Amino acid sequence: MLQHGNDAGRPATSPGTSRRRFLTAAAGAGSAVAAPALLTGCGTARAKGGNLQFWNFYGPQRSPDPAVNAQAKWFVDMVDRWNATHKARIDLVHLPQPTYVNGFKLPSAFATGEGPDIFLLSPGDFLRYCNGGVLADLTPHMEKAAIDDFGSALDSRMVDGKVYALPMEIEPLAMFYAQDVWEKAGLSEADIPTTWDQMLDIGDKLRTRTRAGLVFETNPGYYQNFTWYPWMWQGGGEVLDERGDVAFDSKATRQALGLWQDAVRHGIAPRTMPAAADVVGGFKGGNVAMWQQGIWNVSSFKAFAPKYRYGVFKLPTPPGGRYVTALGGWSFCANAQGRDPEAAAEFCVWALGSMKDESIDRMVEWCVGTKSDVAPRDTALDRGSAKGGYDSEIMKKFKDEIFPGGRAEPRYPPVVYKAISDAIQGTMLAGHGVAGAAERAARSIAAYTKSYQGASLI
Amino acid sequence: MSGVAAQERRHRATVTPARSPAASGRRPRLSRKHREWLAAGLFLAPDVLGLLVFVAIPMVLSIGLSFFQVSGFGSYEWIGLGNYRRMLNDPLFWDSMKITGLYVVFLVPLLFCVSLGLGLLVKQKLPGVGVYRTMLFMPYVISLVVVGVLWKFLLDEQTGVVNRAMRAAGFDGESWLGSPSLALGCVIAVMVWVMMGYYMIIFLAGLQEIPQEFYEAAKLDGAGPWTTFRTITWPLLRPTSFFVLLMSTVAAITGGLDLIFVLTNGGPANGTSLAIFYIYQQAFGFGEYGYASAMGSFLVLIMVLISAVLFKLTRGGRFDDGE
Repeated sequence: MLQHGNDAGRPATSPGTSRRRFLTAAAGAGSAVAAPALLTGCGTARAKGGNLQFWNFYGPQRSPDPAVNAQAKWFVDMVDRWNATHKARIDLVHLPQPTYVNGFKLPSAFATGEGPDIFLLSPGDFLRYCNGGVLADLTPHMEKAAIDDFGSALDSRMVDGKVYALPMEIEPLAMFYAQDVWEKAGLSEADIPTTWDQMLDIGDKLRTRTRAGLVFETNPGYYQNFTWYPWMWQGGGEVLDERGDVAFDSKATRQALGLWQDAVRHGIAPRTMPAAADVVGGFKGGNVAMWQQGIWNVSSFKAFAPKYRYGVFKLPTPPGGRYVTALGGWSFCANAQGRDPEAAAEFCVWALGSMKDESIDRMVEWCVGTKSDVAPRDTALDRGSAKGGYDSEIMKKFKDEIFPGGRAEPRYPPVVYKAISDAIQGTMLAGHGVAGAAERAARSIAAYTKSYQGASLI
Repeated sequence: MSGVAAQERRHRATVTPARSPAASGRRPRLSRKHREWLAAGLFLAPDVLGLLVFVAIPMVLSIGLSFFQVSGFGSYEWIGLGNYRRMLNDPLFWDSMKITGLYVVFLVPLLFCVSLGLGLLVKQKLPGVGVYRTMLFMPYVISLVVVGVLWKFLLDEQTGVVNRAMRAAGFDGESWLGSPSLALGCVIAVMVWVMMGYYMIIFLAGLQEIPQEFYEAAKLDGAGPWTTFRTITWPLLRPTSFFVLLMSTVAAITGGLDLIFVLTNGGPANGTSLAIFYIYQQAFGFGEYGYASAMGSFLVLIMVLISAVLFKLTRGGRFDDGE
């Protein structure tokens, strides 16, 4: 090594310690460590094995809202009970509600083959999952008596006589109002509006610079469509008629679009959601006089603002119209392409759709104990009533007056939803003509339904 | 094998004169030029690998996907140019392209002017200038989701600080995020607020590169601030300006999705539905991955064209005469 003499003044470096070799070795080691992690990250849910995943927006979580904590506990207790008595174990995976409801995590998960084994599904979004073949048939796990017990609550969750989702609740929409605001304006119960014009007049009377007279949903999405449908139905309007033909471009549709447009144009309804769409906060903060909302808020008021004075009334109707409200509510679904579809389906039925007392009582607890909903099963509704779950003035009104005029939220695929959503948004917030918007949406829906293949849209 | 090779190397070392004073007993197997190429390649490899895995391959896959009808649940059907034909006839897509055009046309020059102005300001030797620089840069390090939530509260129709201030000053409040004519302007304003600190720093670096002697000479010649800016700062800042222009244009076309998602969700009435948001909505909201890929490919093509025009106008990004 020293034969040339030139190396004499240089420190002798062994090949193993040169900078280049060090960097090469480090890169190799890094790759070796990273590769398995990267590769496993690309695996499928099924390849991973392990416990079944139950995606939901309730629990487990901790919240300052006691109602939310109680709902989270209901989910945790249910899964703990299942895990204690069954071989297939389930893990609850909580996603924040905005992410779950309006976010794209669930569809993205299915698109990458990483869909959860059990998940909550809105009726509005039912069809694309059903047509995508990811909903497991729950019928083989159910008794006929249980299917009958659900009755019409299963209509929008069935295809060709098979049950693909089990509703955990029925959630009718109504109009909530602030009693103090009402009384300060010299109004009484006798002034509760029964027509659209009365509703707009009262909203106009109750509004101030910082208080909305009347609130309709403003954010585009399945939820906004859901809250708009009853106004269309009240005038006899339909998106698709009984034969499945497009019927959106009608007088009733234009009338309903016009109602929301007038409310916004005259400043009675705001263009954005007050109090960041926090219903209890909006009412308590004095930012809202009337708000079209669902029964689920009763439990939030009870837990978070028990002394707050509010009332509810049926959605008013147009001249010559008949009362209709929309019935929402989420369902349990099992992934037909998950780790263990049989166990997932069995869980859904065990939790909500069995004739055993445990299953019925669980639904009762959810609908009148933990939350505030109408139970989708007759037996559960009866038991909930017997338990006093519908004795309060508000819940009684929901069960006896508001719910009976209800109609299940329709199930439309994204293209149909988007066409309707654009019509609502365009007329309500951009001042587009209602006739043109209805006509454009009808054309768009017709173009889609002409080549549509899948489960019935009606 | 390695022993034989070592013997051979030792033998060559004893009989072959060294080619350079620095040569050791080991004769280099590669020429210096090759070694430099190798070193450069190794240093570039991580970046190239990252670009390949996260940009080039997905881009190729995306172009491939654009020829399929994809259900979002695993079914693929070859439809040739069907998605591109659909794109040409989709009024919502073209509306989103128009909105993107407006967004770029207003955002890029505004961002450029504000950032340059701030760069010139914070270049001054003011007391506590470091604090100002930090404060102006801070919005850039905040997550766009947090920025969206923050500005949603500030711009709230009823209780937002902006409307409260307006009412206190005797004006009517506005529905900043609920009116299609205002919402896009708000998004642009918020984006300028977020990005101005970053480009301010870029401009500041460019300004500090300009030799001070030029300014001193101009001062001796009696040049005023505007003449100094026009004849010295602006021409010598051209490389930086080009960089800012190119980067902010690309960022405007492809970025801002998270802000839009939180602040307006594309509304009201699709008023802030930029092309990138519409593509995202089609892909991840509606499962139309094939269609979204077609629109994405088209958008990339537009970006390539814009970049090419910018390069052409600036002579390939070369600014110094004689190069």
